[in-house]
Amino acid sequence: MNKLITRRESLKKIGKITAGITVSAGLFGPFSSILAHATTPETQPLKGWIVDGIGQQPGYSIKALTRKVFDAAGGMGKFISKGDVVVLKPNISWAQAPNLAVTTHPEVMEAVIELCQESGAKKVRIADNTIHDAGRCFAVTGAAGVAERTGADLVFPRSSMMKKMNLHGHRLDVWPVFTPFVEADKIINMPVAKVHGLSVLTLGMKNWIGGVGGRRSALHQDIHQSIVDLAQFFKPQLTLIDATRILTANGPSGGNISDVKVTNRLILSNDPVAADTLAAAQLFGKTPEDVPFIQLGNKWGLGSSDLDRLTRYSVSI
Amino acid sequence: MKYRHLIWMRRISQAIFLVLFLVLLVMAQLPRDVVMDYSQSFSNSSAQSPDIRITQPITLFFQMDPLVWLSSVISARQWIAGFGWAIGILVAALFFGRFFCGFICPFGTLHHMAASIRPALKKKEMIDANRTSTSRRIKYFLLITILFAAAVGTNFAGLLDPISFLFRSLSLSVIPAIGVGLHDLFEFLAASDVKLLNYLAYGGEALAAPVFGYENKVVLTGWVIGGLFLIILFLNRIKPRFWCRTLCPLGALFGLCSRLMVLQLEKDSDKCTHCGRCTAACQGAATPEPGQVWQTDECLMCLNCTSQCPEDALDFRFKRPYIKERRFDVGRRALMGGMVAGVSFPLLGRLDGSADKSPSPTLIRPPGSLPESEFLDRCQRCGLCMKVCPTNVIQPSLTAAGMAGFWTPTLVMTLGYCEYSCTLCTSVCPTGAIAELSMKEKTGTPIRIGSAYIDRGRCLPWNGNAPCIVCEEHCPTSPKAIYFKKDVIRRPDGQTLPVQLPFVDLARCVGCGICENKCPVKGKPAIRTLSAGESRSLENQILL
Repeated sequence: MNKLITRRESLKKIGKITAGITVSAGLFGPFSSILAHATTPETQPLKGWIVDGIGQQPGYSIKALTRKVFDAAGGMGKFISKGDVVVLKPNISWAQAPNLAVTTHPEVMEAVIELCQESGAKKVRIADNTIHDAGRCFAVTGAAGVAERTGADLVFPRSSMMKKMNLHGHRLDVWPVFTPFVEADKIINMPVAKVHGLSVLTLGMKNWIGGVGGRRSALHQDIHQSIVDLAQFFKPQLTLIDATRILTANGPSGGNISDVKVTNRLILSNDPVAADTLAAAQLFGKTPEDVPFIQLGNKWGLGSSDLDRLTRYSVSI
Repeated sequence: MKYRHLIWMRRISQAIFLVLFLVLLVMAQLPRDVVMDYSQSFSNSSAQSPDIRITQPITLFFQMDPLVWLSSVISARQWIAGFGWAIGILVAALFFGRFFCGFICPFGTLHHMAASIRPALKKKEMIDANRTSTSRRIKYFLLITILFAAAVGTNFAGLLDPISFLFRSLSLSVIPAIGVGLHDLFEFLAASDVKLLNYLAYGGEALAAPVFGYENKVVLTGWVIGGLFLIILFLNRIKPRFWCRTLCPLGALFGLCSRLMVLQLEKDSDKCTHCGRCTAACQGAATPEPGQVWQTDECLMCLNCTSQCPEDALDFRFKRPYIKERRFDVGRRALMGGMVAGVSFPLLGRLDGSADKSPSPTLIRPPGSLPESEFLDRCQRCGLCMKVCPTNVIQPSLTAAGMAGFWTPTLVMTLGYCEYSCTLCTSVCPTGAIAELSMKEKTGTPIRIGSAYIDRGRCLPWNGNAPCIVCEEHCPTSPKAIYFKKDVIRRPDGQTLPVQLPFVDLARCVGCGICENKCPVKGKPAIRTLSAGESRSLENQILL
């Protein structure tokens, strides 16, 4: 009954079904980058890429910037195939208004959902195992409005959707996983950039704490390794860091507008470590040495914190 | 037999009000489909998100209830707004007696159904069971107890008021209990390897969620609430509408009002053949049979007797009230006993001093609650605040509030926490025991419901076992009410462990309890919340 399946196995299953179709680039991108990382010397360029989007004009459209960032990466069609079930993982864990920079900007969500739908996604789901009451989070963060306007599914987190799986991490083994992520064809991680009392920052990799259930509070006893284990398990196809505004103090719960800094940035990458590295450096002035989970992610081959080895794009609006 | 169409009118009325009651009961929760306009939060940074409110009139039945109104007004010694319907119904009862019991009361309807659908008693037994009995005086005793208790200053009404009784029973025991069963089933299906069963589970959950929610609800003492409900329903098998005849204090209040009743049961003794059909069908045991005195105060206005009589010997007629002929047999014992009990309960209940001298440390009231003594004046224990709370933190108290506060709301932080920006419970209290707050008032003032303290013996950084910042991470105030001192622990194996030792800043802590709720230390959390520091009390404070 309670057979434990791993994300890797389910990926393999999906891989078999869709083998030979264009997905290989998107689906196995992260794998191949890991392989490349393991076999190529440290100075060789990687297959990873990273897009840095900046909104310069006053009153620019966040949706337009989001589209531009994806265009720079070759368009959403490169990553999403017709008929895909795409699951977005925004951070909508706190019942706070979106201007307080504790949750992902609803316009970013909306733009990504529209891009997925235009690329032929069969279904787009928004999933996050929230910290505050999910109903209030959906309403207050604007996620409910986004789902209503776009027709995306907003998945209500609940115990029946937490499946015990073996994460095969260095620190974490059997843990309840939020099933939409297991059943997804493609995953896009959409965190918001914030400071955090223990993990220093919360960016892309840390966002995966919202992908599991169970005794999440206990993860903090070995936070950095836990973050990397989770990020390794979920392996999003893309990471889009919402830094249109960031939280610079009293994170991750925030609540005070004076702690919010408007930075007008979006960072998109197929490399979760690189995305976090760039965000940490540009937004908070922190090196990978300052943020142990970035270092660990690099060490375990989850991606690269050496941005020079990635293809870099920069767009602005 | 000429009242058939009126019987159907009564049934339709009963059905409408029962359905309305159930619909409003289900609506009494965080609305599931709120879509908030976030755009203005960007344009105006000081604008906070608007408060989520329930738009349906979920307090309607409480505000139609004269007992809730009377008892609350007497004990609060203040006019309470919103009870226009209750006053109207009380006035109408002066002329039409207990029509509320027969036509409106959803609890009465439930008893009517339980007693009439496949009745347990055969005809002869039914006639015997429906004869007026002295046990009917118990309800007057209970009514007098409630009103005298209110006069002394404790509002017990909701413990026995039928609307509150039914609301509490359904929302805090029947629905959560069915929910537990359903969720078990859904989780079983969701754990299956068969995809179809998984989808069945998810679909079923989505369908059931508007009523039963997505997660199991916890209700402390829920089994007592549910057990009482089942017992009282079962009593209909022994005596039809046992509750309405014997226990219901609201029925007793209407009974007292029926003195001026203008509707009279006219009995034609010449036509009567004493077949007993009227008594067998009588819902209130009001002696409809000709030759005996009709009990106005027991008649539930169900109109069964007139429609059952094959000889047309019974007829309801409008008539000038003839007060003299109506004997009010409340009973001296019920009156005296009720007075003694009514005065005793609140006085004995307050002997523990929790209302004034030594506030209960574990009694954390919902935000916006009045000072304890005034709170007990108003709170009639209907359970509405417990029903609407999205985190399930508000619980019917067993001992936390003392005997006088039995089943009043208390926050149990291991089950939930008071969400910082949520003010839903403050907007639903029908008697104003919890005053309405906006999010701005709650977080800006701030309204404190208690304060947290750290148990250093259990706290992981303090006892040197692991780094942990979960309480600080979740603390919703800004700046946070939990701060750190950095330290390095030397472990027995010689290794060093850098930790951040948490401290609670009492000046900032609002007592929301999310730290206690999310603390990874199970069993007894390493950070706990007590009522000290609550805004509503001048005495129950820590800081100067």
